[in-house]
Amino acid sequence: MTVETMPKAVPPVPSKTAPGVRVGGLSVVYKTSAGELPAIAGINLDLVPGTITGVVGESGSGKSTLALSLLNAVQPPGRIAAGSVEIDGLGDVVALRGEDLRKARGRHIGYVFQAAQNSLNPLKTVGKQLLDLGRSHGVSDLRALVREAKELLGRMGMDGARVLDSHQHELSGGMRQRVGIMLALVLNAHLVVLDEPTTALDMITQATILRIIREVHEERGLTTLVITHDLGVVAEVADRLAVMYGGRIVEQGPTREVLGGPRHPYTRGLLRAIPRLVGDIDEARALPGRPPTLGTVPREGCVFRERCPLRMDVCDTVEPLAIADGPRIVACHAVDAAAAKETKA
Amino acid sequence: MITGTGITKTYKQRGNVLSGREVKALRGVDFSIEKGGAVSFIGESGCGKTTLGRIIAGLETHDGGEIVIDGVPMSSLKPRKREPYFRRIQLIHQDPYSALNPTRTVHQTLAAPLALRARRTGRPGSWMDERAEELLALVGLDPGYVLPRYPHQLSGGMRQRVVIARALTVDPEMLVADEATSMIDVSLRLGILSLLKDLRERLGVSVLFITHDVATARYIGEGGDLYVIYRGQVVERGQVETIIENPVHPYTQSLLSAIPVLHGLEKPGEQPVVPTAALDESKTDDGCLFARRCPFSTDRCASEVPSLAVTGAFPQEHSCFYPERRSVVATPLEAA
Repeated sequence: MTVETMPKAVPPVPSKTAPGVRVGGLSVVYKTSAGELPAIAGINLDLVPGTITGVVGESGSGKSTLALSLLNAVQPPGRIAAGSVEIDGLGDVVALRGEDLRKARGRHIGYVFQAAQNSLNPLKTVGKQLLDLGRSHGVSDLRALVREAKELLGRMGMDGARVLDSHQHELSGGMRQRVGIMLALVLNAHLVVLDEPTTALDMITQATILRIIREVHEERGLTTLVITHDLGVVAEVADRLAVMYGGRIVEQGPTREVLGGPRHPYTRGLLRAIPRLVGDIDEARALPGRPPTLGTVPREGCVFRERCPLRMDVCDTVEPLAIADGPRIVACHAVDAAAAKETKA
Repeated sequence: MITGTGITKTYKQRGNVLSGREVKALRGVDFSIEKGGAVSFIGESGCGKTTLGRIIAGLETHDGGEIVIDGVPMSSLKPRKREPYFRRIQLIHQDPYSALNPTRTVHQTLAAPLALRARRTGRPGSWMDERAEELLALVGLDPGYVLPRYPHQLSGGMRQRVVIARALTVDPEMLVADEATSMIDVSLRLGILSLLKDLRERLGVSVLFITHDVATARYIGEGGDLYVIYRGQVVERGQVETIIENPVHPYTQSLLSAIPVLHGLEKPGEQPVVPTAALDESKTDDGCLFARRCPFSTDRCASEVPSLAVTGAFPQEHSCFYPERRSVVATPLEAA
């Protein structure tokens, strides 16, 4: 399935390994009638080579803006106002322009769009779109590209030849999603960003896609970022989890640790707001209030304070710093205060 | 309050006699929803659950079978005479963004059905405004804030509450909620679910909840019936807790196995069931409709049609020749 097993006609693919990604102090602003408003602010996030990181957040949390920033693909009226996105082998993506940037996308970074939003061209067969992709990235051996695509599709349980001959409307949602994954990987990118990979898919199809993401990730040695609103999706696939709220990462850490012992009041509230299949059904509690939008995110202090059960005076004026405790990072005054008390005692 | 027997619905795809393909959306479904009761339909998209919901709400006709509302068979009435019966059943859509008219304020949205009602019952005009405020308060909104606003000025959760308030203007006896929370932010979903639960408890409104998410069905339909629908057929039916704890149909088991496990909080079930093939509607099946995807199917399943019934020691109805308990649902980890 990998390069070694491919026929000799294939040109040698530069041996690449999973790159690490370091997002530092990243801020993206959108120009609105009320001035430039930050969609994400001061984001620090490391993607460890060879791991799957899950970013979870509600609408307006800035998770998609963060994903687009990895490609330096934030569109006007938005712009990256500060910070850097260092990708191994590429350098700072924020500094890339024009042709360099275009080549980096696809070759180094694969992006899988939501299946529901029709990211495929309805007028062209999947095969034609694959060839377009190959030509625009200067692939000399298009036959090999097609072979690779068929192999990838076969790996994901589909009839490669049939899929390449199909138009978008002939494929089901789950099949389209797999085509998206194929297109992201076929140029041998080793950093893959999946934006809401299972939204609008059925439960059983979702489980299949998540299994495929995990397997392909391991087989090809990728660094993967999954963006989703669904904690369950992150729980199934991600090694590390970052929780976004109001354009900030409020908590991050190893997935099992964060889910098993959430620290930030938002993470805790979110987990409690999801009805589960087992256990006491009355334990589920709605989170009061509603998530902020671009215009209603507080300018100073903690972004979550309006809905927070642990709100203190300091939360109104001072934005909490992200403080690391081993692999766990939390940005919350109340958590800090509790931790300080504990060390004193 | 409403029962259906042998409901069938076939959609004909465009084309001539030779090329036209038929899609069987419903293949003889029986259902019964009591006054004040809660019933959930679960299944994958395309299984017919939405079609059935729309038929129950009177928005779609069925080809075969009979629907009886409060003892009156609908086939005995002319379409116009059916209206007052179906008015008792109101549908809440999945998408609160398209369910409201963007050019009308919330006040206008609620005033239209209320005005009609005021005229019919001879109430004064002032009743309308009182009632609109009452309904908004009932669904957990601040009337002063919401009434003068347009849908685009409200969040998804607020919009869905307005949709529910609008449904309540006609004093319905039953609400049909079709994936009513799937487009709402995760932290706000539970609010809508508990509102529906609350309306059922306080107003005695029956709730039919249509979803692909079994956990929300459990939350809202506590103690009620769960119907597992596959390709237009009910394959398992019984009390929601019974089915979640002890599902016996392999399709139900694969649905439950597919639910993401919150690792760190839960451990996965020990006997997950994974379908052996993807859904292919174009294939016709002689026997059990799930046989082609079922990991446990035998020759009998491919030729003989199982019927929905109680067999063996299981309390729920199911349509499987070989019902068996399997541990498919995740269980909570012991608190560390």
